[in-house]
Amino acid sequence: MDVELTEILEALCQHAPFNEIADDPQLNDMAKEIEIQYVRAGEWVIAPSALNNTLFFIRSGAIEVLSKEEKLIRRMNEGEIFGYASLLRGGKSSQSMRTIEDSLLYRIPARWFLKLHAENDNFSDFFQLAREARLRAAMDAQNSDVSLMTCPVVSLLRRPPISTQMDSSIRIAAQIMAEHRVSSLLITDNDELIGIVTDRDLRTRAVAEGLAYDTPVSDIMTRDPVVMDSGDYASEAVLKMMERNVHHIPIVKNGLPIGVVSTGDLIQKESHGSVYLISDIYKQTSIEGLKSISRKMTHTFTQLVLADANTQMIGNAMSHIGTAFVKRLLQLAEEKYGPPPVPYCFIALGSQAREEQTIKTDQDNALILSDQYDKTQHGEYFENLADWVCKHLDDCGYDLCSGDIMASNPRWRQPLKVWKQHFSEWIQQPKAEALLRLSIFFDLRGVYGDKTLAKQLNQHIRAEAQQHAGFLTFMARNANQRKPPLGFFRQFVLDGEGTQSRTFNLKERGIAPIIDIVRVHALACGSDKLNTLERIEDIEAAGLLPDGRAKDLALALEMIGMVRIRNQKDQIEAGEEPNNHVNPEHLSSFEKRHLRDAFHIVSRQQEFIKFRFAGSATK
Amino acid sequence: MCRANRNLLSSASQEAQLNDKTFNKKQPKKDIQDWQAMFAEWAKEAPEGPLKRFYQAGMIAPNTALKDAPLLALDLETTGLDPSKDEIISLGLIPLDHKIIRCQGAKYWMAKPERSLHAESVTIHEITHAELEEAPRLHAILDEILTALSHQVIVVHCVAIERQFLLEAAMKVYGYPLYFPVLDTMDIERQATFKPWWQRFGRRPSLRLDACRQRYKLPRYKAHHALTDALSSAELLQAQISYHMDPEADISHYWV
Repeated sequence: MDVELTEILEALCQHAPFNEIADDPQLNDMAKEIEIQYVRAGEWVIAPSALNNTLFFIRSGAIEVLSKEEKLIRRMNEGEIFGYASLLRGGKSSQSMRTIEDSLLYRIPARWFLKLHAENDNFSDFFQLAREARLRAAMDAQNSDVSLMTCPVVSLLRRPPISTQMDSSIRIAAQIMAEHRVSSLLITDNDELIGIVTDRDLRTRAVAEGLAYDTPVSDIMTRDPVVMDSGDYASEAVLKMMERNVHHIPIVKNGLPIGVVSTGDLIQKESHGSVYLISDIYKQTSIEGLKSISRKMTHTFTQLVLADANTQMIGNAMSHIGTAFVKRLLQLAEEKYGPPPVPYCFIALGSQAREEQTIKTDQDNALILSDQYDKTQHGEYFENLADWVCKHLDDCGYDLCSGDIMASNPRWRQPLKVWKQHFSEWIQQPKAEALLRLSIFFDLRGVYGDKTLAKQLNQHIRAEAQQHAGFLTFMARNANQRKPPLGFFRQFVLDGEGTQSRTFNLKERGIAPIIDIVRVHALACGSDKLNTLERIEDIEAAGLLPDGRAKDLALALEMIGMVRIRNQKDQIEAGEEPNNHVNPEHLSSFEKRHLRDAFHIVSRQQEFIKFRFAGSATK
Repeated sequence: MCRANRNLLSSASQEAQLNDKTFNKKQPKKDIQDWQAMFAEWAKEAPEGPLKRFYQAGMIAPNTALKDAPLLALDLETTGLDPSKDEIISLGLIPLDHKIIRCQGAKYWMAKPERSLHAESVTIHEITHAELEEAPRLHAILDEILTALSHQVIVVHCVAIERQFLLEAAMKVYGYPLYFPVLDTMDIERQATFKPWWQRFGRRPSLRLDACRQRYKLPRYKAHHALTDALSSAELLQAQISYHMDPEADISHYWV
């Protein structure tokens, strides 16, 4: 009876350093001594100052590494190993490890690690290199501090929330705050968060007004405060504070408050990351200033990739930066041409609207004007404004749109009622070819001005799309236009000519088809989300896809997106212009295997929507 | 023998009752199931030989804490779903406790069926004719399997199939039934996910092994290898313990 733990061996051999020693016959012996452990999120795997006698392999889940001072050093994901540094030092651990997701861990006995480390150079080299890579990451983190981008807001929480009931007096509230030395207090009604009181509120709304000490605290609190979910990134907290001009944000988990993040907590973390770049954008008063910031963007981008930010974080950061450029340029334009004669909304389309921008993107935008717009009276103002903004976006690295889908094109600068008519026509009498070009309009986000205009238009689109099944058939058919390069291991199915003849386009053949598929489902279930991953959540909740398929799509998107982003980072570092083309010969076996899986998912899901939205639409 | 059957019948109806209640780890079952006492009875009745020794090895007391229970995850691959005519072709075992799965004790057997395989079950199992041709018959390895199962609480996903196939095999080889206590990860999941509102709208969550595992963010495995599937349900049980079960509670609370 020869027991072979195939599943475990295969998992190990997909990742360094075990892939380097996959042919070592000892590996199966080692696998037989592995112990497996399921650890829920938030539990210690190696507690601070605990002794460690195990090499850990993350089979699934994620782990955060904390310094002695409990500062976040880095995060580790599936396929990474940890615990070796302490094994090489005889068990003493200088860092502690905690799960941030439910994780499945393999525990490899120390003696196996020490044996392989001593006997096999391919194995021990890895740890030397890993040390250098970690060092570089640590240095980068110190120099440029992108940590806010990668750390969840929950990691900034220092203590459980301090709160009181809504009927407490302001005097009691002040006493609680003094006792706990906090600058804010959460107000609850039966554990439900209903408000927040800060030092400033006590000062301006209570003392300055001369209120009696026994006034209920609910009289001076800010009702329904801005809150964030525990899973959000710290960078989003900064953006939210700037946007809403608040200094404290309660963090909630499953609807219950678990703490408060203040500006002070964030300032301690942040110095030079992309958030800093954004606040810098708002300080610029000239085009020259904005242009000089735009030149730093490639640096910010590569820093994010090096810091192991995932595609969602990077897309989010790059889109926020893009939006900041748009907003600042519009503010400057309004200074130049005067305030707008009628309300308008500048809308982003496509990747910026979905908050999925990467480093190299064209500008896709348009203007929605209020229905009070009168061309003879106001036409010139908006023409000047749009031309100026689009021209200078181009200066800042957002190339002019080759399809001329820009606010500077009078066709895409229309009053709300005209936009509604356009969409009604596109949806009620769809024409396949036209829709292919127009699909970008179905990802539409207001970025500046009167955003209710964009909101009304989005509502109109959702309502129309749900009423016209034939339209979804067309969209589904369009989502099937671009096929993933399934055969790329055997014979390359390649795009383009010349220098790119041995490559394929990850965006066209992988990412865009997923976005298209998800958009069709999102329209079908009436989702008001724009971001592809958020749409996938809505689709999953609506039960539109068989069990697990929605998650598959998200995984495929992340996998293909990650290869694209790493490829762009490599292109930048090699001094090339980043693009979406990747040469399969340059991919690691890990990337190839996962890309193939991802493309298969895309292909199956294309088949699925063809069938799901099969209709009577004619070509 | 008669007593044995009666006991099992009452446990089955108990199981049915439990399914209709929300799973609650704090609330003990009223009528506890004493596998230790039943094993002692069967040890007297069973014919001399491996099966008698299996029952003589005994079973843990019903008030043993879950965290102290010796657990053994088990999975069978069979030629079909009907225990009366289909046969076991492979069996995988992997030991665990409430926190750790130990690969060191993993065991795996293949058994050559009496009847030839259908083409479709070959593709499901990824076991080839050639491999099975070389394997021993089940009756030749059943003694060895019984030794491995001795004094263990068995962990399976869907108790009905595994228990019935092994019972049939024991009847054929020893002329006396084989029973053992089971933690059924499928039943645990059914109770843990049970919420009354599903009866009103929406569908009940899937209880397939793969679907259950995804609920706990466990990785996806290729199904239908007995050892992988045993590992699969062992990991699922650990996740279920950490979410829904009390390691300090009596094992009688969970076994069926």
